[in-house]
Amino acid sequence: MKKISLSIFIFYVFFFLLSFKSIASNCEFQMADMNWPSATLMANVDKFILEEGYGCRVELIPGATTATFVTMNEKGRPQVAPELWTNSVAEPLQKAVEEGRLFSASDGPITELGEGWWVTPDTLKRNPQFKTVLDILERPDLFPAKEDPSKGAFIGCPAGWGCQLSNQSLFIAFEMEKKGWMLVDPGSKAGLDASMTKAAQRGDNWLGYYWSPTSLIGKYNMKLMDFGVPFAGSENWDSCISKGPEVCINPKPSAWTKSIVKTIVTPDVKEMHKVMKYFSKRIFPGEVMNSMLVYMEDNQAQGIDGAITFLENFYDIWVNWVPKEVAQNVKEAL
Amino acid sequence: MIDFFTEFPEISRSGLRDIKNAIDNAFRSFSRSYGESIENFFDPLLWFLIWFEKLLVNTPWPIIMLIIASLCYLGSRNWKLPLAAILTFTLIGYLGMWEDTMSTIALISVATLLCIIIGMPLGIWMARYDRVQKTLNPLLDVMQTIPIFVYLLPVLMLLGIGKVPGLIAICVYAMPPIIRLTNLGIRLVDKDILEAANAFGADSKQRLIEVQIPLALPNIFAGINQTIMMALAMVVIASMIGVRGLGIPVLQAIQNQYLALGLMNGLAIVALAIIFDRSLQRYGERLQKYNAGHKND
Repeated sequence: MKKISLSIFIFYVFFFLLSFKSIASNCEFQMADMNWPSATLMANVDKFILEEGYGCRVELIPGATTATFVTMNEKGRPQVAPELWTNSVAEPLQKAVEEGRLFSASDGPITELGEGWWVTPDTLKRNPQFKTVLDILERPDLFPAKEDPSKGAFIGCPAGWGCQLSNQSLFIAFEMEKKGWMLVDPGSKAGLDASMTKAAQRGDNWLGYYWSPTSLIGKYNMKLMDFGVPFAGSENWDSCISKGPEVCINPKPSAWTKSIVKTIVTPDVKEMHKVMKYFSKRIFPGEVMNSMLVYMEDNQAQGIDGAITFLENFYDIWVNWVPKEVAQNVKEAL
Repeated sequence: MIDFFTEFPEISRSGLRDIKNAIDNAFRSFSRSYGESIENFFDPLLWFLIWFEKLLVNTPWPIIMLIIASLCYLGSRNWKLPLAAILTFTLIGYLGMWEDTMSTIALISVATLLCIIIGMPLGIWMARYDRVQKTLNPLLDVMQTIPIFVYLLPVLMLLGIGKVPGLIAICVYAMPPIIRLTNLGIRLVDKDILEAANAFGADSKQRLIEVQIPLALPNIFAGINQTIMMALAMVVIASMIGVRGLGIPVLQAIQNQYLALGLMNGLAIVALAIIFDRSLQRYGERLQKYNAGHKND
């Protein structure tokens, strides 16, 4: 009996110490570690700088865009999404910001980014007449689908991603079915990557959805196609195209909406002024991000490895994000 | 010295990176030089899968229902199962999942068939030679536990996304039970009975076909049951590499927290599993009874 009560006592002391520690740091939160490389890199860089430089405690929580957004909005955690692509959650995000449940800590954590339809460099080399997406859509025969070679394959966005709905709408808007195309659902990011990588490595023609900054875009020098039509207004995009064919009956052809990436935080973190200041200054130049992603891919680096390499090699960039003593702390911790 | 005990002595970062890079580059060049021909090798299988799926999707639904009900009846010799099947499929069709269900049935039936055709002989082989069992067992362990995308990525690089990699993923995961249980069933056959068969002058082929397999049937059918269940459990994974079917809406539902959509498609997968399994199990039971009766004559 004594033994049991002693162990319970030790247990309590242990927990007391644990909770004491977390109260003492006063800067403890969860951060979304989203499941694509640039977001992972960013989350790990943030974690390293905030922990080593500012003495915070940051726990990384894996998750995809929609799931992360929903739990942030409903449960208030994770408290930070470092790289949230807001297009797919535009309306609920706006509502959440108006209601004071979420805040933007940075409106452009990465420069030069975007989503759209890409082709392999070999496609353009063989077909210099392709100037825009509209030109490509006339030639489905050059992009034969594996499962039905009489049709052209357009590789859309993985099932359940926000962009899946937009691609389905655009597929209808450009009347691609009538022109002889089929929309291939790659099922997952692994599927989409494999499909593009295989085409790029073998020099095949490939038309599909992708986004930058990403290592694959940088590595295979993929070409973003101009849509050949202007952006047909945010009304058309936000309340029709991005809602998918079930809601959007008459989508108008449109260029891809300008991608907006934000660092989103909950009210808890908004009170942490140092952290907010850091987020507002933390901007990755697009080419640096691309080169880091190619490095991570070539070396099969995990997020934390990439973060350390970034901090080691790009001191001139991140030193401007933080006060001097913080930079000193981070440098010593490397 | 303390460091040695607290930090595991590990290979240097650059050394590890070189190993990883070497493996990756070797595979990349392999894929570039042989990818095309490996793809061509699997093309007939792909055509068959596409043909079968088209057949199921394009056949008018009443005919499909009739075929399914009669297959269920042939399997079970009982009116309950066909009735349940018709009810289930009516519900599936009514809820708008007909086409996805047909795609899934096409893939799963080919996968199950393939697993049985390859798995049963392997199980028999394993039961006859201890050495084969010793070599195959760890391999089966690998097949059942290795995270799917670990071997799927190289397959995707070679074959691209689509049905064939999906079929491979399903078979790798779903084949071990039929192999293991065939092996087990045959090994569990009573030694005395085998001796009796020997005494009647049965050669090893007769012994296998007339004695061992019939007596192992309960275990073999348990293996088939597991194979079907595991194949259907892999439907969602197959959809992650671009296979059409009930898995796609499930993925959509998971990503977006669409409870109803996920539940409906998930339950449709369950329903398929149960219908598949029950008809085969009843068929198996009748087979055993027939065998038993046959011997008493």
